[in-house]
Amino acid sequence: MALGGTIRGKTTTLRLPVEADLEIYNRWMADMRVRRAHRVWHEPAMPATWKERFKEVAKDQQNVLWSIDASDKLVGFAVGHVWRMGNGFDLNHFMIDPDEWRNGYGSDAALALHRYLFDYLDLRLATTELRADNAAALRIARKLGYEEYAHGHEVHYRDGAYVDELQLRMNKETWQERWSAEREYPPLAANATR
Amino acid sequence: MFGPRLEGRSGVTLVPPTLAHFRLHPAWETQPEVGRFWGPRFGELTQEHQEETFKKVGADQTQIQWTISYLEEPVGFTGIFDIDWVRRDGESGIFIGRADLFGRGIASEAVRLRTHFAWRELRLHRVHNWIAHANRGSRRANEKAGYRQMGLFRRSFFRSGEWYDEWLGEAYPHTFPDQR
Repeated sequence: MALGGTIRGKTTTLRLPVEADLEIYNRWMADMRVRRAHRVWHEPAMPATWKERFKEVAKDQQNVLWSIDASDKLVGFAVGHVWRMGNGFDLNHFMIDPDEWRNGYGSDAALALHRYLFDYLDLRLATTELRADNAAALRIARKLGYEEYAHGHEVHYRDGAYVDELQLRMNKETWQERWSAEREYPPLAANATR
Repeated sequence: MFGPRLEGRSGVTLVPPTLAHFRLHPAWETQPEVGRFWGPRFGELTQEHQEETFKKVGADQTQIQWTISYLEEPVGFTGIFDIDWVRRDGESGIFIGRADLFGRGIASEAVRLRTHFAWRELRLHRVHNWIAHANRGSRRANEKAGYRQMGLFRRSFFRSGEWYDEWLGEAYPHTFPDQR
């Protein structure tokens, strides 16, 4: 997996992940609050296994991993897959530390990440899959501009029962309609190319 | 892993793949006649890569793959991939590599055998897939085995001046047609 570089939000920053983050990733993957809300990225494991995973993922050119910081503290991570033909992105994991839920970090980091996808990488669309009962994630996704294109029934199993999955997509046109004021860089100066 | 031999009707059998079968895949996958709804028609299409893939598929405990045999001849492949043994869910796929055999019901029989195996032998809870909406033959083959539409992914890919949508299906043991 490729390692993602810096993307600045207002209260959060997506940044290059480092090995020191892995111990905290491991703790989150072992947290039942996380596991009920999301699919795990990897199962909890010993440090050497996480280091191997980190080496493996760093080599992959189509998947990208970012760590998410807020106030100089690691508060989450994101993992996405850039389509083979390069024009779309599947946001496969987007995780905020459960102890930091309801601080607005998810909304802020998600907006920054999508600004990067549409305003910087110029992708055509982004997709994500969410559990139907993950109200907080759905609220963030819908506010960004995601729309449901499929509803899978009894897809995920946890806490003794199945839960449905919603598959959502967001097009570049939606980004432009809702968020055109969000830009990575200001417009080029009129004389910039003279 | 490779699936066991499943005898079907009308000359169709699902058989455990061999390396010789895997060596046929690049030639199948790069023909325009069969690739309209398939991949980009390029890739690491060497015989060495096929050998590696054969070993990898055989060892992988999260997928089960078969060669589709028609009148004792390999003509395609099918399988269930990314199986999650906790959720008991997997993604199915099928590829018929011989355009001259389209329309003979080979895919329908292969999907029926595969789906029956998923419920009766693997004890899966759900199988899902993506099919080009315009690939009516493949879609019908899956619908006959109990797949139902769960969504439509609009404008998935663009070929020959047209956008192609993708049909998303899911099947459960209770949607499998009565085989009595």
